[in-house]
Amino acid sequence: MSTTTARSIVKDIQVSGLRGRWWVTALFGVLLLVAVWMLLNLVIGGKCGADCVQGTLAQTLRVATPIAFAAFCGVLCERAGVVNIGIEGQMLMAAMAGYAVNLFAFQALKDSIGIEAAGNLSRWLAVLAGILSALILAALHAVVSIEFKTNQIISGTVINILSVGITGFLYRQFLAENLPPGPGTFPIAPIPVLSQIPVIGPILFQQKPLTYLMLILAFAIHYVLYYTPWGLRTRAVGEHPRAADTLGINVYRIRYINVLVGGLVAGLGGAWFTLEAVDVFNPLMTNGLGFIGLAAMIFGKWNPFGALLGALIFGLGNSITSTVSIFRPDIPSQLPQMLPYLLTIIVLTGVVGRATPPAADGEPYEK
Amino acid sequence: MRKSLLSFTALLLTTSVLAACAGSASGGKLKVGLVTDTGGVNDKSFNQSAWAGVQQAAKEFGWEAKFIESKQPTDYEKNIDQFATEKYDVIVTVGFLMGDATAAKAIQYPNIKFAIIDNAYYPTKDAKVCDDTKKDCYDDGGLKNTTSLMFQEDQVGFLAGVVAGGMSKTGTVCTVAGMEIPPVVKFVVGYEAGSKWMRSDAKALHVYVPSFTDPAKGKEVGNSMIDQGCDVVFGAGGNTGNGGLLAAKEKGLMAIGVDVDQYNTYPEVKDALLTSAAKNVDVAVYEYLKTVNAKASKAGVITANIQNGGVGLAPYHDWDSKVPDTVKAKVKEATDGLKSGSITTGYQP
Repeated sequence: MSTTTARSIVKDIQVSGLRGRWWVTALFGVLLLVAVWMLLNLVIGGKCGADCVQGTLAQTLRVATPIAFAAFCGVLCERAGVVNIGIEGQMLMAAMAGYAVNLFAFQALKDSIGIEAAGNLSRWLAVLAGILSALILAALHAVVSIEFKTNQIISGTVINILSVGITGFLYRQFLAENLPPGPGTFPIAPIPVLSQIPVIGPILFQQKPLTYLMLILAFAIHYVLYYTPWGLRTRAVGEHPRAADTLGINVYRIRYINVLVGGLVAGLGGAWFTLEAVDVFNPLMTNGLGFIGLAAMIFGKWNPFGALLGALIFGLGNSITSTVSIFRPDIPSQLPQMLPYLLTIIVLTGVVGRATPPAADGEPYEK
Repeated sequence: MRKSLLSFTALLLTTSVLAACAGSASGGKLKVGLVTDTGGVNDKSFNQSAWAGVQQAAKEFGWEAKFIESKQPTDYEKNIDQFATEKYDVIVTVGFLMGDATAAKAIQYPNIKFAIIDNAYYPTKDAKVCDDTKKDCYDDGGLKNTTSLMFQEDQVGFLAGVVAGGMSKTGTVCTVAGMEIPPVVKFVVGYEAGSKWMRSDAKALHVYVPSFTDPAKGKEVGNSMIDQGCDVVFGAGGNTGNGGLLAAKEKGLMAIGVDVDQYNTYPEVKDALLTSAAKNVDVAVYEYLKTVNAKASKAGVITANIQNGGVGLAPYHDWDSKVPDTVKAKVKEATDGLKSGSITTGYQP
């Protein structure tokens, strides 16, 4: 390929319409929210007032957090052309590593530096352990699918199965029997001033640290992907690796780094389960949210804000499920349980339209 | 490179198959196998309890015992097959959801004794007990080798409801329930009836979550009901229910555990834990295996209830001094009423 052709291809990628517009996403989200709220009140007889809306939305954000992390991991990997369906496994591993380190670090530290400080320190150490464990699995995926050019779906599946096995084994060996209580999850960390804003404050600014981190990441990934040379290289590698290679971009290096950073992000998603949501670990506790994250990524057309919106819609469906179940016990419980999935399908087919993945997504690159 | 990877994988697979075979060597001892539900053998709940019962019997009678965990419902039949291939004499399956797999395999392997927890199968279609519950009858030869170990969860749920109704300040109590299957529904129905028997103005909320392994979801569901005024959360759904207990603990409210005394299995929430609605799965399994040892095991349904002590409330532990005597007296009254039959829980199968 000549350098001129390659340059024009990359130029096209630079200006291509795959870029997300955050305000379109936000507007769409608000409209959807109002529609859902009206529908909800129709079903439960107008019992969802201001308090209920506030509670539901705060919960939506909490539930969406691990899904969004998974989706961001997907965006990072697939924008560079590597399909990663092993996110579920990476999160499960991180959930267990986080749980274990939180417990053991706390036991080791609490006598020397006091319970309060030990709790804080061990929780952050645990987050670190979580992302490192996910990073190891991501490295495995990277080596197998980039270096050895194995089918990326197979590699991801192997990671998922491997992770179920390892976590199940370690859990039974070391974590199942009569352990001393750990320091528990992160406490809620209200942000000064902002958390006092009526309605919005309790929803957005009275959350736990990983949730804030998730929101910050959405902006960060958006910025990196569209406003830095690194982002352009990533997108070029995902769309047309041959052209990128011709221009001197190291395709393998870009892919490696993206998959590894994706692993860190998936690790944060895993840490959410055992450090932010609950203080227990149980086998299979990620319950498929890694895959839902991939759906959110596709829904968001491989853009971070779109992916976040996808995660929020699923989270909204989830929290509405409980609201409907509480107020209408006469409706068979299976019906509201279908809501999140139903909502996802309706939005996917009716509103989003065709989602085109990066052109070289899932294809190993041969020099 | 690809070839060497392949051969490496093949090597790994062979080693693991060999290792699996090595574990099954035995010398004529009676062999009992336990197939867990997806919660796994360390679920701090009924799978763990069932395994404890098996272990106790195996130790006492000098048997060989092993468990296999089901990772997903499609594993049920596969796992039973594995025990059958290895010539196990008794197979215990844990949980209502394993009902169909157990029935199919009990027909396939008529010489193996089966025991299933939480699912009632009747030996033949013509048996008297089958007439009014036709849906559990099998007319293709019947299940002559299957014993069902059942529990009256509604009774102990009722007692938990009495405690909840007595302790609630808001008058609203709630249940974070697992999958909507009979053993769970029995807990929920009993709990709500009990709370209303205790105070007639009680409001009872519940949400079923279609999973037993989702504590994060259980906690959010618990939070939603707490927002509606619930101040005593009953967690009746394995690990999912545990999430509900945690929600109550974090808000400084009260919680009631399930299946086993959760003060011991989930000490993180003990500040909130009033009591637990326990079913003695280990005792039921052990008692059944004792009849196997005496060569006196029978097919059919064995029910554990409040009358024979198979279900009951766990101790109040830290709350013992804070639960008023009036509430304790009411629990006693309800227990006696349930035993004599003057109080019913209202559960209709």
